[in-house]
Amino acid sequence: MSLLIRQLQVSLTQQSILTNQASALLQRVTSSLPAPLCRLAPTNERHYRTMPTHGIGRWKYLLPKEVPRKKRDKLQMKPIRGSTATEYGSLSVKVSGYDMTVVEHYSQYIHNLCNRLGVGVSESYALPTKSTEVMLMQEQGTKMYIDALLKTHERIVQISSMTATLCPTFMDVVLQNQPEGVQLSVKEHMERDFLERFKARPQLEGLMAQVNQRD
Amino acid sequence: MSAPVVKMAGRCFHQLYKLSNSAGRLASGKTGIRQFSGAVVQNAAEPWRLLGAACVQRLAVISADQRPLEAKFSELMNQMELERSLMSDHELRLLDDKERLRRRQAVDYDSDEEEEADRDQDIVLTQDLEDAWEQRLKGFATQPRARGVVDVRLERADRCLAEPLLLLTQQEVGPERLWLLPQTPWEAGETLKSTAQRALSATPGLDLQTVFLGNAPCGLYKYRMPRSVRDREGLTGVKVFFFKAVVSGPLPPPAPSSLWVRRSELKDYLKPSYLEKIRPFLLNL
Repeated sequence: MSLLIRQLQVSLTQQSILTNQASALLQRVTSSLPAPLCRLAPTNERHYRTMPTHGIGRWKYLLPKEVPRKKRDKLQMKPIRGSTATEYGSLSVKVSGYDMTVVEHYSQYIHNLCNRLGVGVSESYALPTKSTEVMLMQEQGTKMYIDALLKTHERIVQISSMTATLCPTFMDVVLQNQPEGVQLSVKEHMERDFLERFKARPQLEGLMAQVNQRD
Repeated sequence: MSAPVVKMAGRCFHQLYKLSNSAGRLASGKTGIRQFSGAVVQNAAEPWRLLGAACVQRLAVISADQRPLEAKFSELMNQMELERSLMSDHELRLLDDKERLRRRQAVDYDSDEEEEADRDQDIVLTQDLEDAWEQRLKGFATQPRARGVVDVRLERADRCLAEPLLLLTQQEVGPERLWLLPQTPWEAGETLKSTAQRALSATPGLDLQTVFLGNAPCGLYKYRMPRSVRDREGLTGVKVFFFKAVVSGPLPPPAPSSLWVRRSELKDYLKPSYLEKIRPFLLNL
């Protein structure tokens, strides 16, 4: 037994890091001293909870909690599916109108309907709001003044798999439930529709144009 | 306008347009033979004639009328929303102006006590705006929702704006003229959807812009000819494939031999067996 301890101590001095296992082993060895000589404590045995030394050597809980910084990846375009003989390709259902609550509720309704009918929805997002200023001519004079500011909200539900047999039924339901003041359009999804989601970066584009001009 | 065709008792009608159920019971009444659906033995010389039909809907233009319970509930919700809402900028300005007016008209008004920003402001600007808006609103005339004179006339496409309407045309089928969804026989080399489109354009006097909702048919109606016709003409029966379409663009003017009917009025114009086969794909929402 003393030979074992000496060997262990040597190995410990060789490695500078003191690990849980090693300390546990050391304790196990020292605690098993009064036990019969032929019994060796295996290295992969953990102490039971009722053991007084249970959990000794734990240290990770003492370190300050570090929240991992979530780095937001650039939005990737999901592959656009082509149409087959029995299925449509990637479609985008665009709902637009002036009243945001109605537009949002209608797009939510379409999304839920797709889920229920088994139509695959790949994405559901909003396009940037477009503002329209309504200008009126003054009664006396030629100056125009702003009468109202209308905001057009657009929501898109991108559908990935729609069978040809389901399409007329789906369109019928969606059209019959279309609220007033809301425009609906269903068309093929293109890459330029994906690029429309992003804001234009004029400075970057200017710099790129300069770089290309020099080359 | 022709009278609704509801000939339940006409024997000749029964002989010509007896609908066969999927079990395929023969017209001669051989009930001893069990027929399996779909496994009807057909003679190659007795084909089925295919037809393409278009189920054209004029969708509701205005929202449907609220039922009494719905009206009560929406009123309650609006009232709750109003009571819980905060004041908008316009309303705050109105209150502000009223307060300033009240202060100015007080007996012990001292203009120096007024804040710098408020001193030169015109008090009644916001109220003027409100009055101007109200005047404009009074000048706006709304159209009535239900127009009794127009709603009664079935050939007009702009009747019953709150409900969806279906297009029916009168067609000669055999010896009779019946009200049906516009249909036309299929010709070799064209798709059934283009047959349906042709059926619409072939209807005399109908100037309609439609959008077909899909390339696949939504329903099927098939009827077997009675034995006499089968033996004489060699035609087992007729299969009609329906395609859904929706009116797009301006509403068409009235056309002869075409009607726009509501769902509730369909039973007055269509044969019961035909209507039974159409009902599944007419979504009553």
